[in-house]
Amino acid sequence: MSSIRVENLSIKFRVYHDRSPSFKDSLANLFKRNAREAYSDFWAVKDVSFEINAGDRVGIIGHNGAGKSTLLKTLCRVYELFDGKISVDGRIAPLLEIGAGFHPEFTGRENIYLNGSILGYSKQQLKEIEPEVIAFAELEEFIDTQVKYYSTGMYMRLAFSLATAMHPDILVLDEIFAGGDAAFMAKATARMHDMIDKANIMIMVSHDHLLVKSLCNRVIWLDHGKLVADGAPDEIVERYLAGRKNG
Amino acid sequence: MKTQVSTFLPELYSRRNVLRQLVSQQLILRYRRTALGYLWTLINPLLMMSVMAWVFSTLFKADLKTFAVFLFAGMIPWNFFSSVVSQSGTAFVHNEGLIKKVYLPKAIFPLSIAFAFLIDSLLSFVALFAIILAIGGTLSWAVLFIPAAFLLLFFFALGVGLIMSIATVFFRDLQYVILIALQGLFFFTPILYQRDTLGGNIGRLVGLNPVVPYIELFRAPLTQGTLPGTSVIVQAVAISFTAMAIGLFIFLRQEKKIVFRL
Repeated sequence: MSSIRVENLSIKFRVYHDRSPSFKDSLANLFKRNAREAYSDFWAVKDVSFEINAGDRVGIIGHNGAGKSTLLKTLCRVYELFDGKISVDGRIAPLLEIGAGFHPEFTGRENIYLNGSILGYSKQQLKEIEPEVIAFAELEEFIDTQVKYYSTGMYMRLAFSLATAMHPDILVLDEIFAGGDAAFMAKATARMHDMIDKANIMIMVSHDHLLVKSLCNRVIWLDHGKLVADGAPDEIVERYLAGRKNG
Repeated sequence: MKTQVSTFLPELYSRRNVLRQLVSQQLILRYRRTALGYLWTLINPLLMMSVMAWVFSTLFKADLKTFAVFLFAGMIPWNFFSSVVSQSGTAFVHNEGLIKKVYLPKAIFPLSIAFAFLIDSLLSFVALFAIILAIGGTLSWAVLFIPAAFLLLFFFALGVGLIMSIATVFFRDLQYVILIALQGLFFFTPILYQRDTLGGNIGRLVGLNPVVPYIELFRAPLTQGTLPGTSVIVQAVAISFTAMAIGLFIFLRQEKKIVFRL
């Protein structure tokens, strides 16, 4: 059984005002007391705690810049937490940005192996899923063509097929994505739902409130990096839309 | 925000598949769609070295064959060192897109650079080996020391590379500074000349250059057919160890900060 435990999580970004400090500036600042700071700190996530257990389908909502994606990326270890604690039990799949790690100069097949290894698949696993990935992406003809000659749809289809080829314990989604034509979209949506059904835990970020209500059984509302509410989807989404922070 | 040493190596090992992919990416991409393909990796430095051997042997009025072997034996470790150090500076900057989207042990990026150049360098060495035999050179058993020389050189370059990879994220100008610094260092390294022909202040300056023992590690077995002196080996081991220690210390302390600074 998978679980995620987040305690007092805070993530701080440093915002530089004009440019990254040069080596000269850093040296100069060593000898200057009270040197004017060239940056200010920004808390993307501040003191957030929650626990997610097996069977939970969690939707994270909030306006742009509320810290939703930062929170997801921190769960996937892309960002380092500044303070607090995260414990994750189970294999977590980073389905954040599809096609990250694709190399345009590589062929589709080479990218399956490159991107697949980045996603954490072993060579053996990749060999097994390769035919299925190619078939699902409908790219049999072009799989040995360099990806830079692909159309956007072909690129998205390959990336999607690969990213969804395995079923992780914990599925993390940043907006549900699917490219390609209508037929592929339907196929992809079905696969996505199948994946969500089979996942032990699902966490998603979405601005589509109907989607959140239909897929999730729990909603977390973030605002300016702070957790505002956590509860049943219908209730929280309604409060969020009405802007009622205090229930 | 520090990485624990105990989790560093097991984690790296568990993602060796990515490391392998990144190394082959670098080797494959360089000459994709060229007729000679990977051969360019060998032809390029060998031609360059041949021209240098010809020009400088004439300039120094030295025997071409002897000088060529002498020069090649110095150029191979130098090329490896300077490539790893200069390319490591771009290890994170060039992979920004990936680092911000997927978690990977960060050491994979500088390591993949070091491994890719190690493969290049080993192959150039094989080619050099063939050339030495072709022009009638003699090889002694001392050549068996070369793998050890490569190992020591690898750790030295990797240690410096780890420092460079981190430092460049914080100070982007270093990418360009390092190229100039390496060019300068080239002339302070006895590659075109014998170490003992330099006296005085310059000689003392060259003596401080940490690359010097590594050149000697390659040169003694290849040009004189003898094992390098014990003091040279001890120096090289000490420098490699120090470079790795400092490199890892800086790397483990800073690696988690770089995602915020890319």
